[in-house]
Amino acid sequence: MRFLLISICFLFISCGSYPKKQHLELSDTPLKSIENPYFSDASIDYVYKASIDVYKRNFSGLLIIKKIAEEQHRVAFTTEMGNKLFDFTFTKDNFQVNFILEELDKNLLIQVLEKDFRVLVTQNLIISNSYTNIQYPVYQTQINNKNHYYFFEDNELTKVVRSKYGKEKVRFLFSEIKHRIAHQIKIKHQNIPLEINLKSIIQ
Amino acid sequence: MRKVVFLLFFVSLAIQAQTKMSVTEAEALKTLVKQQALTTKTIYSDFTQYKHLDFLSNDIVSKGKLAFKTPNLVKWEYTEPYNYAVIFKNETLFINDEGKKNQIDMGSNKMFKELNTLIINSIKGDMFDDTAFDISYYKKDKHHEVHFIPKDKKSSKYIQAFQLIFNTKGDVIEVKMIEPSGDFTKIVFTNRELNKPLADAVFTN
Repeated sequence: MRFLLISICFLFISCGSYPKKQHLELSDTPLKSIENPYFSDASIDYVYKASIDVYKRNFSGLLIIKKIAEEQHRVAFTTEMGNKLFDFTFTKDNFQVNFILEELDKNLLIQVLEKDFRVLVTQNLIISNSYTNIQYPVYQTQINNKNHYYFFEDNELTKVVRSKYGKEKVRFLFSEIKHRIAHQIKIKHQNIPLEINLKSIIQ
Repeated sequence: MRKVVFLLFFVSLAIQAQTKMSVTEAEALKTLVKQQALTTKTIYSDFTQYKHLDFLSNDIVSKGKLAFKTPNLVKWEYTEPYNYAVIFKNETLFINDEGKKNQIDMGSNKMFKELNTLIINSIKGDMFDDTAFDISYYKKDKHHEVHFIPKDKKSSKYIQAFQLIFNTKGDVIEVKMIEPSGDFTKIVFTNRELNKPLADAVFTN
């Protein structure tokens, strides 16, 4: 019986919300929405040297992102030698695979990539809650009905966390930010051994 | 009307710029290239790679050096805008990605194996294999251009055509790989040195 109580207690604790666990203070904001500026300029070809570590294997190549219309992006990946591995189109409510190498054509992989890249390309986000983290603001928003927390430092977006059941699932870190371009981006998954590192080679 | 005339003029110019070779001219080019390939023991060359994706404003440009030694050692070394080298040696790909070293066994991967053969043959220019490709020959300015369209269904899913441009000596000066979508990778060779001694150490990462 005591064990049951203890485990129920643990259950409650572990089911606490992400902001609670991170000691984020609920706060008021006049803002209705926030902006991710990093892939928002349709005149820029966003090209990144990418290094992907997955299950102790390492792959590299070029990740290419282009805003082709309002709320519409192309995201493609090629090897350094130019072979295309995949090419996706993201629109507000839709996702399309234009091309994927047969060896990579796995539903689970495509879903993971879709979710991660949608965070990169979604520009305008409606705020559902706002918090403060020490002195900086944190905004809660939903992408694909999943909670995402946007961390800003000195008015720059530096981190996005996707959470599930109060736990951090994926962390996106933006650094070396200049002129609305994040020259370093890290996407780290907590529940699977997957890490994507992007370094800009924008020409 | 004047516009139409202008248009026709330019279209006919474009046609003139690239005309089909006669059978004898094509045979002569084939012989020249094969001879050149036979006497080529090493190639050392600068290259500029243009990756064209239709949705981008500009091609992605990278630069580096190519080293080739018979029978089948190849090293592609990119120095701009990043450092990345890949060596094709026997059945293995050796990769050095800004210091991060990696190997891929091609023995288990048919696609990589085919790619390796194609790369070596396209560098030498010697891919005149009628059983694997539909081949057509063109004259373009002073140069010769040959189009290779893969016959194999699996290859043609990834590559619609290879286009090689040869100079008058029979050296490959440009390779263009066109994907079915129309996107392509173009590699232009400059400062090409033939048969310069290359130590095996060049082909280690």
